[in-house]
Amino acid sequence: MAEKDEDSLIGYDPLAWMHRSDSNQDSQRDDVDELESHAASAFASANAEVPGPEMNHDEVPIIASESLTSEQGERAIVVLEPVLNIQNVAVLHQRLTQMLSNFEAIDIDASGVTMIDTATLQLLLILKQTAIGLQKSISIDFPSDKFIEASELLGIAEMLEVDQAASGFF
Amino acid sequence: MSARIVAVLNQKGGVGKTTTSVNLTYALAKLGKKITVIDFDPQSHLAVSLGVVDPQKSGIDKVLLEGVSLTQQLIPVRKNLNLVVAGPRLQEIEQLMDGGARRGDLLRKALLDGNRDEDFIFIDCPPSSGVLVANALFAADEILVPMTSDYLALQGLSHLMGTIKKFESALKRPYKFSLVMSRYIPTRRISKEVLSVIQKYFPGQILATTIRETALLAECPSFGKTIFEYRPGCRSARDFTALAKDFLEGRMM
Repeated sequence: MAEKDEDSLIGYDPLAWMHRSDSNQDSQRDDVDELESHAASAFASANAEVPGPEMNHDEVPIIASESLTSEQGERAIVVLEPVLNIQNVAVLHQRLTQMLSNFEAIDIDASGVTMIDTATLQLLLILKQTAIGLQKSISIDFPSDKFIEASELLGIAEMLEVDQAASGFF
Repeated sequence: MSARIVAVLNQKGGVGKTTTSVNLTYALAKLGKKITVIDFDPQSHLAVSLGVVDPQKSGIDKVLLEGVSLTQQLIPVRKNLNLVVAGPRLQEIEQLMDGGARRGDLLRKALLDGNRDEDFIFIDCPPSSGVLVANALFAADEILVPMTSDYLALQGLSHLMGTIKKFESALKRPYKFSLVMSRYIPTRRISKEVLSVIQKYFPGQILATTIRETALLAECPSFGKTIFEYRPGCRSARDFTALAKDFLEGRMM
């Protein structure tokens, strides 16, 4: 949590990230064409036929892959794999915690998620809260219908800022 | 078309988007500016506030979904002030799944069409952050964010700024951005502190006049009247007249 003046009625300052991110603005170089291409592929990915929950987990990479992580200045992008459950949550926790210590902001692409359990959702929620405490940012981008449904069922969609957000265009 | 396109935007509800859209556009129209205001919220509260209550009347929904020209959907509601209602099918835009980012570009293209002579086009956005808001952000040159002076509104503003920065980065153009303090209660300490925090992050971007909370502003929509028509000369009407001048002259805190 941000420091609080003793007499202030404002505790944690939710806008604090803005001053820090100003210096990183130039690191983002997307143009409209890239936006359309990215958005189209994201939507295609969200709608693509992906393995269902009955799949053989041994054959599927379950966690965020390093190879799918791109870095833009102090920002990292993580693409979540389709099936996320308690068997893999510890590894995911380790990876995301490590990334949080290395980057100012993490964008988590949840477009391909077809199954996510409460353990993973709780991990993401804790990660987001931890990031706030560190005055860093975590955003869930392109949440799939299953991701939104699961987070709403657990009642944490708002806390995760998971809505069918305009950010889904990116 | 050289109209300035202004999105009145805040994904948080109850911050005064529609009240600002109704009364600021009316005040600007009274000052001689030609205004088109688009009700971009499927709840149609803007239209109701201006006395247009037919829920089946088509509007911007038909423009976006069927390609009808915007000019055809203009309703002259006051002198210098045209309204485009939401229409019963506007919510369908949120469910559009095909077309990638192109589904976010429908409004921008619609506004380019036609030879109208407005000075300003205002878009009264819904309290959400979905496809409709994306359309408004693709189309807008300027963003006007009504903001209440409570802590949760500050939290909401943080989320909104994240979205706006992503659009600015992707579109490679900065928005002209301003805030209006609405529903302001000057006697509350939290109001002053929230305003102070906002001033720290948005220097020179907060319109100089605060719109103070009054019961009259809550009453006038049910009569389909602006505050100027409901209680001419009242404190809120004076606030909005001053705000309109701030807006035109770029007077900021």
